[in-house]
Amino acid sequence: MKIRMKITKEEEIRFISHLDYTRTIERAVRRAKLSAAYSEGFNPHMKFSFASALAVGVTSSAEYMDLELATDTELATIMRQLRQAFPVGITVKDSQVMIGTVKALMAVVNLATYEMTWLMSDGISEADLQQSLDLFDQEAIAIYVKQTPKGVREIDIKEFVAAPPVLHVEGDKICLQLQLHIKPTGSVKPTDMLELLIHKYQLPAFARAALIERTGLFISNKGRLLTPLEL
Amino acid sequence: MIHLDPAILSRVMKPARYTGHELNSVMKPHETVAVTFALAFPDVYEVGMSYLGYKILYSILNKRTDTAAERVFAPWVDMEQEMRQAKIPLFSHETFTPLAEFDLVGFTLQYEMSYTNILNMLDLGGIPLLTKDRKQGQPFVVAGGPGVYNVEPLADFFDFVIVGEGEEIIEEIVDTYKCWREAGEQGGRKEFLLAVSKISGIYVPSFYDVTYETNGTIHSVSSNEPTAPAIVHKRIVKDLESISYPVKPIVPYTEIVHDRIMLELFRGCTRGCRFCQAGILYRPVRERTVDTLVKIARQQVDATGYNEISLTSLSSADYSKLPELIDRLTAELKDDRVSVSLPSLRIDSFSIELAQKVQQVRKSGLTFAPEAGTQRLRDVINKGVTEENLIEAVGAAFRSGWTSVKLYFMIGLPTETDEDIEGIADLAQRVVKLFSEIRGRRGVKVTVSVSSFVPKAHTAFQWFGQDSLEELERKQHYLRSLIKDKSIAYHYHDARVSVLEGVFARGDRRLGEVLLKAWRAGAKFDSWSEHFHYEIWQQAFIDCKIDPAFYAHRDRDLMEVLPWEYVSPAVTKKYLAKEYREAVAGAFTSDCRTDVCGVCGVCQQLNAAVIDWSDSL
Ligand code: SF4
Repeated sequence: MKIRMKITKEEEIRFISHLDYTRTIERAVRRAKLSAAYSEGFNPHMKFSFASALAVGVTSSAEYMDLELATDTELATIMRQLRQAFPVGITVKDSQVMIGTVKALMAVVNLATYEMTWLMSDGISEADLQQSLDLFDQEAIAIYVKQTPKGVREIDIKEFVAAPPVLHVEGDKICLQLQLHIKPTGSVKPTDMLELLIHKYQLPAFARAALIERTGLFISNKGRLLTPLEL
Repeated sequence: MIHLDPAILSRVMKPARYTGHELNSVMKPHETVAVTFALAFPDVYEVGMSYLGYKILYSILNKRTDTAAERVFAPWVDMEQEMRQAKIPLFSHETFTPLAEFDLVGFTLQYEMSYTNILNMLDLGGIPLLTKDRKQGQPFVVAGGPGVYNVEPLADFFDFVIVGEGEEIIEEIVDTYKCWREAGEQGGRKEFLLAVSKISGIYVPSFYDVTYETNGTIHSVSSNEPTAPAIVHKRIVKDLESISYPVKPIVPYTEIVHDRIMLELFRGCTRGCRFCQAGILYRPVRERTVDTLVKIARQQVDATGYNEISLTSLSSADYSKLPELIDRLTAELKDDRVSVSLPSLRIDSFSIELAQKVQQVRKSGLTFAPEAGTQRLRDVINKGVTEENLIEAVGAAFRSGWTSVKLYFMIGLPTETDEDIEGIADLAQRVVKLFSEIRGRRGVKVTVSVSSFVPKAHTAFQWFGQDSLEELERKQHYLRSLIKDKSIAYHYHDARVSVLEGVFARGDRRLGEVLLKAWRAGAKFDSWSEHFHYEIWQQAFIDCKIDPAFYAHRDRDLMEVLPWEYVSPAVTKKYLAKEYREAVAGAFTSDCRTDVCGVCGVCQQLNAAVIDWSDSL
């Protein structure tokens, strides 16, 4: 049987990598004594998969994971065992048994929403922030030059922006909401976008001081957003 | 409590090294306990987290409701820079408490090249480096681990030292500390040191004075406290069945060096290789029972979710009930899909059979350690292995499908000549040939890994003058010139590091100043080649007017007073001297685990005995 879960990556484990996160979940499944299904072959691995890797330093309130079990068990039992086994920083939010043929999360999820928060510096107003965002909105293309270990890569961030960034200011707390496409060819990190806004559009912020959370992963189809659990 | 700014963490490499919260880590509010103990490892997280000794002590200390034990590691250089800039002191990974706020701070001495990291960590933690500068209210800084068997170069930095196995003594130390604390710390730090020095296995360096001869050797070592013992003998746990084993080890989020369950089958190894310090330090052999091991393994798997168990001991293949153990472990853990691995193999076909049984994945290749290239030299070091043994073992491996082997050797061993170097190349070549004979094709990979011999305290070779740097490098290059076959990869270690290790392995108290100087000049992470700066050390020796050759390269007289004689693994000097003579004669000493007792002194002086289950049903 196949189970789809919505889980979190919280503050305490913000800085672990996607690989660390995967390994941590695999160990938790083993501790939970679920009859996980394994691949055949010389070096069998547990059958579980994610929608999209999360960058180091980013928390998430909406990660999705599919887990395959070799025997049928009641969902409530599975979840109880898993909840006990998950370490600090991972919570199960929702789950359901998947019926019929299920397309891999990776293949269907095509949009991510993020929330970036940071503190307003002195002398900066909401209008200053909005002005940079407007500037960005008016652009047809917005090239971000990314330094990678393999060299320099130019990305048009606009291609990935699904909706204009939304700004909320509450006291001295600034919150910026993003909607970014995840394409079969790749995706952009929210930090890349923030860097671009700061350096090219004079957004008054420090990229590294922002706390970033992935708030949702969706299947966007003809203007409608569905979560992987609503499919 | 230290708060780590996400901005800092997002700038450093591998930030998960610093953020704690791992499964099975124990967080106790410090106001609820009487004693806080920092277990500090002088290297990065991934290395320190793989150290079994701390898993054991962590579990024992935290089982006590009156004690909190927490982990501390050396931050990598990028993080150190951030911490110094932001004035963040070195902190523990559980409650993010600054190091200076702990009652006791323990360091483990695993290798000489980590000593500058200890100074650096004390400094980062805001603790005075020298014992004499520490005041009431500051932590006691303690050392344990194999390095304590010559802790003299660090004598100025440690308040006291734990000699031998820690399971029992660590609790006695905590009890003594509690008593002193509850008595209002009467008599100050000195009074506590006096009390703790009465525990068998504790060495307080400041209770001893050393005088020197004009030629630089030691005239005498005398205690300046009437109650300080003349010789501190190690502590051992006589029966491993009597102590608890950590069944809920911490499971790191990020990958560590040994990212698996470590199951300690036994302690000690009495094969008697004469270069090997561990063989002397951890005597006598004491095994756990199969029943206990299977039980522990089950509990650890349940508590961690790991899918690999490594059977760790000095020479795991020597466990007397290994086939039975492996069968039972495999049966017990089959449904959990846990694999069992043997980290070290003996050079015989029995080991290959076992390896085949446990290692389904062949990616890693097999490792053997003939140590020396000729039979003559293998006899000198008492490596009871012949060329035929090796050929048989490697042959079995090739027949079972392995296509790569790693061979470990040492150069610079006592009595070595160029013929022995040539023997290494010949042996490697024979292994290559063997592969084509057996498999009828090319395509084998033989890795020859050569380290430079470092004579260690409390071994038969403790009197032997290490080869000079020039000589070691000449031998390394000579060997390279002899290896022509493309199927052989040749690796060797930086001989400068080996020589420096040689200095500290048999150094005395006067080297403390060199350590300080080198650390001040920027030495740290010396065991990481990218951070090793030989010039810093050379300059430090010059500045302190100390000739490193005096410690590393000088042959010592059998009558000489050795700096490390006052801390003893309970093997007698007389036994070691006899072994040295037998080495030169090429005479064989058998394994007391299966043969007669060689009267090394351990069992006699510690009232202990070998525990081996080979005769039991
Ligand atoms: S005293 Fe005898 S039995 Fe005990 S470790 Fe030494 S040689 Fe072996």
